[in-house]
Amino acid sequence: MQEEINNIKNQAIAQIMEVKTLSELEEIRISYLGRNGKINNLLKKIKEVSIEKRGSMGSLINEAKTTIDKLLNEKRFGLIKSITEKREWFDTTIPGIIPDIGHLHPQTVVYEEVKSIFNYLGYQIADGPEIETDYYNFEALNIPKDHPARDTMQTFYLDTKGSHVKLGELILRTQTSAMQGRVMGKVSPPLKVLVPGKNFRYEQVDASHGFEFWQVEGFVVDKNIHLTDLFGTIEYVLKKLFGESSKIRFATTNFSFVEPGVDTYLQCTLCKGKGCSFCKKSGWSEIMPAGMIHPFVFKEAGIDPNKWTGFAFAIGFSRIINLKYQISDLRTLTTPDLRILKQF
Amino acid sequence: MKAPLSWLKEFVDIGLKTNDLMWKLTEIGLTTESFEKIDNDIVFETEVTPNRPDWLSIIGIAREIAAIENKKIRLPLMPDIPKPKKVLPLSIKTDYQLSPRYSGIIISDVKISASPNFIQERLKKVGLRPINNLVDITNYCMFELGIPIHVFDYDKFLSQNLSMELSRGGESFSSVDEIKYVLPKGAIIIKDTPERVIDLCGIKGGGNTGIGENTKNIFIHVPIYNPILVRKASQSLKLASEASYIYERGANAGGTIDTLKRVVFLMMKYAKGNIASNLIDEKKEKFELKKLTTSLAKIENVLGLKIPETKILSILDSLNLSPKIAQGKLITTIPTYRGDIKADEDIIEEIARIYGYNNFPKTLPVSSVNKRKIPYFFDNTLHLQIKNLLVATGFSESMNLSLISKNLIQSCQLPLNKHLKIVNPVSNEYEYLRNSLIPSLIKSLKINENEERVKVFELAKVYNGNPDRHNEPYKLSALAKGISFRELKGVLDLIFSRFNIKNLKFGQEIPLEGLWHPNKSSEIIYNNKTAGFLGYLNPQVLHNHLIVDDILGFELDLKVLEEISKKTIYKPISQFPAQLEDLTFTFPEKTKIGTVLENIRKIDRLIFNIELTDIYKDAYTFKIWYQHPKKTLNDREVENIRLKIIQLVKNKFGGRVK
Repeated sequence: MQEEINNIKNQAIAQIMEVKTLSELEEIRISYLGRNGKINNLLKKIKEVSIEKRGSMGSLINEAKTTIDKLLNEKRFGLIKSITEKREWFDTTIPGIIPDIGHLHPQTVVYEEVKSIFNYLGYQIADGPEIETDYYNFEALNIPKDHPARDTMQTFYLDTKGSHVKLGELILRTQTSAMQGRVMGKVSPPLKVLVPGKNFRYEQVDASHGFEFWQVEGFVVDKNIHLTDLFGTIEYVLKKLFGESSKIRFATTNFSFVEPGVDTYLQCTLCKGKGCSFCKKSGWSEIMPAGMIHPFVFKEAGIDPNKWTGFAFAIGFSRIINLKYQISDLRTLTTPDLRILKQF
Repeated sequence: MKAPLSWLKEFVDIGLKTNDLMWKLTEIGLTTESFEKIDNDIVFETEVTPNRPDWLSIIGIAREIAAIENKKIRLPLMPDIPKPKKVLPLSIKTDYQLSPRYSGIIISDVKISASPNFIQERLKKVGLRPINNLVDITNYCMFELGIPIHVFDYDKFLSQNLSMELSRGGESFSSVDEIKYVLPKGAIIIKDTPERVIDLCGIKGGGNTGIGENTKNIFIHVPIYNPILVRKASQSLKLASEASYIYERGANAGGTIDTLKRVVFLMMKYAKGNIASNLIDEKKEKFELKKLTTSLAKIENVLGLKIPETKILSILDSLNLSPKIAQGKLITTIPTYRGDIKADEDIIEEIARIYGYNNFPKTLPVSSVNKRKIPYFFDNTLHLQIKNLLVATGFSESMNLSLISKNLIQSCQLPLNKHLKIVNPVSNEYEYLRNSLIPSLIKSLKINENEERVKVFELAKVYNGNPDRHNEPYKLSALAKGISFRELKGVLDLIFSRFNIKNLKFGQEIPLEGLWHPNKSSEIIYNNKTAGFLGYLNPQVLHNHLIVDDILGFELDLKVLEEISKKTIYKPISQFPAQLEDLTFTFPEKTKIGTVLENIRKIDRLIFNIELTDIYKDAYTFKIWYQHPKKTLNDREVENIRLKIIQLVKNKFGGRVK
């Protein structure tokens, strides 16, 4: 047995000397000092030795174990030292291999951003139909047939041939505001609603016009909602979207479904109001039409305007995207060219 | 509307600098973002909202500037009309439904000539071509005061009994600018004989009674027309004019006589002549000024700010609304040119806009939290999770237009009659609402044809049904070029496993003619419901788009996916190691390996997982995890399961273990 112990010890010493890498060294450690390693096997065999020799054999095995362990540690230290001291040439400037991941459309990124701002303010999201009735898109919003306000929202009409629907009654919605009547007509206030969605207007396509565009509409109905609340909400949202230093100003405007009507101008985020090609030299751009909900809209939806007040607003998604990413041609967003998509 | 600064200054003193004035006008609602310099004058380009037809006049804009600067306006000279020296016969039968007010007068013996320079210059600045003194004065007064005026050659009337009526449709009419129209039904017209139309009211005057070189006696009318009738006629003729633009928005019925006085004053000054009729003024009502009573408490509640009473009074006074406050009530008197002020909210806006929106404090609503879900409630969590999964697997998101062409639908071999159609598309490129996202993505592949590998997806609504019953389900579609079928299938497998969807079936009944490849694609079925499609696109469709590569894709119905997805529930990891082994089988041709795996998985609960790891010719290697939740399996137990697998593969699929 003594011979066996010495052989194993010597074998281990020889192997440790030969080792070049840390992983080889670890293998050797397991084969000698592991749970099923050679040293443990020797200890298991000690029963076979006569009782009087067991003590000396035991200390021999222990001595072998200590020697191997010490050598392993020295070797490990030596190996680590030599690896680190070698100063092998290594180039960290070499470009990486980028994993093949895809890209979210900027619209999705902005949608999520807008959603989280409004979720924080307690708004719930409503998703409504894009094929809409003339009633919800116009009449419920105080825009009767033959009202000149319809000029600014040229409408696509659905072909109703062969159906029971009269031509002109089904349209592609021109504004997400169509959801005001749908939501208010079905449930009583208080309400805090956000309606992101696609709209359609008959327009010839150019860099700043498209016949399909995304908007996000918001409206709040409660007791004691004031014009100052609308101003404050707009300011809060735009500063969250474009940074705390953004500057905004308000102007009066007219939409049949709000009174007072508000238009919001955002100082050009590029030139800070000096006027540049991006803001068409104006320094400011219209960003968020809004207003206090007109009593007509409340009455039409069965809500008592003497009891409730509210405000509504809308932002164009493409406006936000354009300003954030400095895209000057709207068509960029609906061109599925990977050279565009991969930038986001 | 173009507004020359010099003309505005005739009615109001302006202290503000040009840029400040432009912003103040914008702030109070008359958007003025640009101007033009013409001959040392500044001509503003204003955008007039439909509620303020009074801003379609110089005096209207001057009134707003007066309110901004808190100054008084100077009205133009409009002396009383002299008594007639002689009376030329003329009668007109009007209709209050068509024209609530109709004012007019005859002037005889006028001298036709060019109009004075200042009139010509101003007309040019607002974009009109000077013609002669008679016509120019009517246009000048329209721009100055905001009510359209028309002048006829009295001697060209075929009778002295004019009649206003609605067109029956089909009448022919030639305008003063010599253009022929066939009239639609329901346009307001004036006839001088039963056969002859002399005025397309509110839009254009007739050439048959227009001013000519020899005009001597004239009839001037200042009518107010029904806005809807003018608008309908203008739209069906696709013919608009400065006059129709004003009438559609509602002309000032209280101002016809003042306008007529102004016109007569200028006519007699620059074209001489004598009054030759009594004043005609047919009117439905007296057009008395309306009063509005608004509670101060309501004003404060809507605005969220208590504006001092003195400030409210001075603002409304500057707008000529004659305000009074008594017992908590504000009483205003509304001039007829402010037809937009009808209710409390309108008065509140008047106060707010002149007070200055930018002078208000900003607050956030103190509102209650609504615990109920609102109607149309929408949670896009699942959509976003899927998008993120696809992005992680290398797919890029695109967004395409909902409107597509007939050509695109047909080249994708989709049924045209399943698509909703627009009657008035901007072009036939955008005529149908898509009911699949794949056609748009095929276009994307074409755009990216120089790329070796393309992986794109879109998640959007599609449009189904017919006008009686239509819906807009969300779909998810992806197309890829340069990857294998198994790579694409893996993306779907990943989505399904993330949403814990099991037991999907892949059907094989795909029509020969369609979007999908007739035998390299299949319907994805869950409980007899179509969850989507998967596979290669039909080579004919690709050929139609001149695409030569193989294209793979899938389309999923997100509503079905949402219904069948399950929450993830954590399964405690086993304390005992799994036994792993590879088994390689050979199979006869046309064996569905997915079905084989599904069968193996089901034969013993101790098969924890099974994966296809390698394919070589007809040999398929499966890696199998055997695992017991409560103990380590011994070799004999594993062998028993292995034998069951081999038996099953042999008996059911004719496969043999290697």
